[in-house]
Amino acid sequence: MTETKLPPIVRGEIQPWTDRDATGGPVLTAFLADLLPATAGRVLVAGPHDAGVLELVASRSADVSVLLRSVSDAEALRGGTWSVVTGALDGLADEKPEPFDVVIAADGLDRLLGPDSPALDWVERAGLLRGLAAPDALVVVGVANDFSLTALLDRRPVPERHGDDEWRPLHDDPRRPASPAQTEAALGGAARRYALFATAGRVHTLLDSGALARTRPGLPGSGIALAGLAAVAGGMPLLAPVTDAAEAAARAGMLDAVAPGWLIVLGQGGATHTAYTPSGTADLEEDGWRFGDRLVPDVESAETVLFRLAAAEDVPGFREYAARLTDGAFFDRVHGLVAVSDNEIPLAAAWFRFRDRLIGGHRRHPWPPWMAEGDDLVKTWLAMSGAEPTPEILARGREIAGPPAEPLDLRTVLADAEKARRTAEERAGHIFGLERTIGFRDRQLRTREQQLREMRAELRLLKSGRAVRMVSLVGRVARLRDPKRLAGAVKRRARRFLPGRS
Amino acid sequence: MHHHNHYYGQSHILARYCGLDDEHPPRIRGYLQHGWNVGCGWNPVHEFFDGAWRYTWSDAPRRRGHSLGRRDYHVVGAPFLYLMELEPDLGAVPEAERSGTLWFLFHGWEGGGKGGKIQGDHARLISEIRETETEPVTISLYYTEFERPEVRRAYEKAGFEVICFGKRGWNYEGTDRRFLYKQLETFRRFRRVAANRLSTAVFFGVAAGCTPAVYGDPMALEGDNPLFGGQARIARLWPEMLGKEIDLEAARATTDVELGRRHLMPPAEMRMLFDWNPRD
Repeated sequence: MTETKLPPIVRGEIQPWTDRDATGGPVLTAFLADLLPATAGRVLVAGPHDAGVLELVASRSADVSVLLRSVSDAEALRGGTWSVVTGALDGLADEKPEPFDVVIAADGLDRLLGPDSPALDWVERAGLLRGLAAPDALVVVGVANDFSLTALLDRRPVPERHGDDEWRPLHDDPRRPASPAQTEAALGGAARRYALFATAGRVHTLLDSGALARTRPGLPGSGIALAGLAAVAGGMPLLAPVTDAAEAAARAGMLDAVAPGWLIVLGQGGATHTAYTPSGTADLEEDGWRFGDRLVPDVESAETVLFRLAAAEDVPGFREYAARLTDGAFFDRVHGLVAVSDNEIPLAAAWFRFRDRLIGGHRRHPWPPWMAEGDDLVKTWLAMSGAEPTPEILARGREIAGPPAEPLDLRTVLADAEKARRTAEERAGHIFGLERTIGFRDRQLRTREQQLREMRAELRLLKSGRAVRMVSLVGRVARLRDPKRLAGAVKRRARRFLPGRS
Repeated sequence: MHHHNHYYGQSHILARYCGLDDEHPPRIRGYLQHGWNVGCGWNPVHEFFDGAWRYTWSDAPRRRGHSLGRRDYHVVGAPFLYLMELEPDLGAVPEAERSGTLWFLFHGWEGGGKGGKIQGDHARLISEIRETETEPVTISLYYTEFERPEVRRAYEKAGFEVICFGKRGWNYEGTDRRFLYKQLETFRRFRRVAANRLSTAVFFGVAAGCTPAVYGDPMALEGDNPLFGGQARIARLWPEMLGKEIDLEAARATTDVELGRRHLMPPAEMRMLFDWNPRD
């Protein structure tokens, strides 16, 4: 480690204060590992980043400075193979340090000032940061997107979204970039831009903006983005599910513009992949997406096709398509699948997930509600895929798929309520119909009863007729003429009068 | 659910297909289309209960139903096609031995007190049949006409054999559950099926291997509701099915669409769809 000449504290530190959810995670670390040169020279990590990021940077450079505004955060971080500077960005800039070869501010520019700092807008903060870097330095800057789908669909009023971490309303800043074009204009000369998806600081998806802008609904690129968006949305109170809006954005080629944020790379660095996800990296090649040793064609996912067929109520088309699916990998090509040796179980799990998304998402489909309530849909689709839906396969499939997601967004809650109202109405209709059917059956019974009564009456008439009486008389005479039968009859009757006989 | 579901023993056939009691078939949770239909699958004034599903033979009635604001359709295919699967050999004779024309007179209906008789010039129709058909003709009358002596005798006097396949039933009473069995069995020995209106029987005949023909006075039905466009619309939509000589391949393709061959489903799926599995 090389000692920096920076003072351990510069103007603008905050105490007591802590910046929670430092930016990092294995996905960001993997990206930086590809981007940073083996020998990175002087490096500045500005803002809260997790230990993984710091350790990676430290492995590439012997001269790493970490700028943190929180005194306690800075204290906690001291003792590593980096030097820690406590204070604000403006305070550090005032020190006029030697230019840095690499500047990493993946956390963005919102957690670099203290309450004692001047009210610098986003562009001024970016200018200060750029000023710390050498002219040909590698600079990585995170930018939060206020026009992201998750921000647009956030149920909370704007002032309540960012907690108490702002003594100035940073998001009111008119010069704050809110589109890829504005970001590039503000920073100038971005070499690379990635859509960034993070939850509580943990980056879980990075996707090349160019690839994202070109993708369309259901294609693997869109699948990666939707998984990222779903993860971001998972912890947020929303007005509506992000999926529908994301599909519309993908159709418009606007997914990059509505991503939760971007990671901007200025200057030259190592080669990076098209996408970084929790299950690994992916590259968009000429013949498709390469996920490790798997090549996935850049075509619509099975789920997209099946949703479309279900919405068109085209069951034969759905059946033909389902017959071509032989294992569970088809829905989860992008984000991996629990490895199970038996093909039918992952297939069942995939169908369960499809069912949950179809029903939970209030998508249009041709199956009646009594099939949608239980496992009947999964049984139907499994059979269409050529697998027998045994209870074991169903149970294991459901276990792997996990329970259906609970709706968190307002639209789904309202749609669920409307569906419940309609279900009640339809059940009342069903009862009405059943009563009517019972009415028909009652009439049918009455007809039968009438027929029976008429037949009985006819029988009575018949029995009292001369012919029947004659037959009866002949029968009795015949018994009299058979001594054995007569003796038997007398004996039977006599027994009734014998003591001890009932 | 609805007594129309029992018409022609269609519920019975589907129950048998599903491995259930076909003498007393379980209730279908919804409405089953009971005849080929140019509308939404049912007559224009049919009543529907809330939440009851509509099971059509083909996709077109489903789409037309949507345009009428109706929902909850599922296309199942015509029960007659399921019957053909269940009875692959019933009445079958070698192809070369098939002969004659089974001629269906457009039929009236029970009426439910609202009429339902057909009116038309039977004599003129008879001469047209004679002029057209080259092989022996058997006239099939629905019982509503079969039991009208003046109609029945007209065809008998013309030298045609006159038959009746039975009653479709009404309010669960009098359904001849072998109705379609008898029809299938008969179709399989005839070479040609003909009618004076494009109708269910023509499609069934084509499905059972007959060459179709549709010609002659279409006659008028008492109380007929032309809401769906009547004969003119039929001529616009299915011209390939009208005439004395019809292209068989085209007729078969149309028949497959109208009877919903693509929509046939396995028994297990149908049991779930109709809510026919026992519930705990």
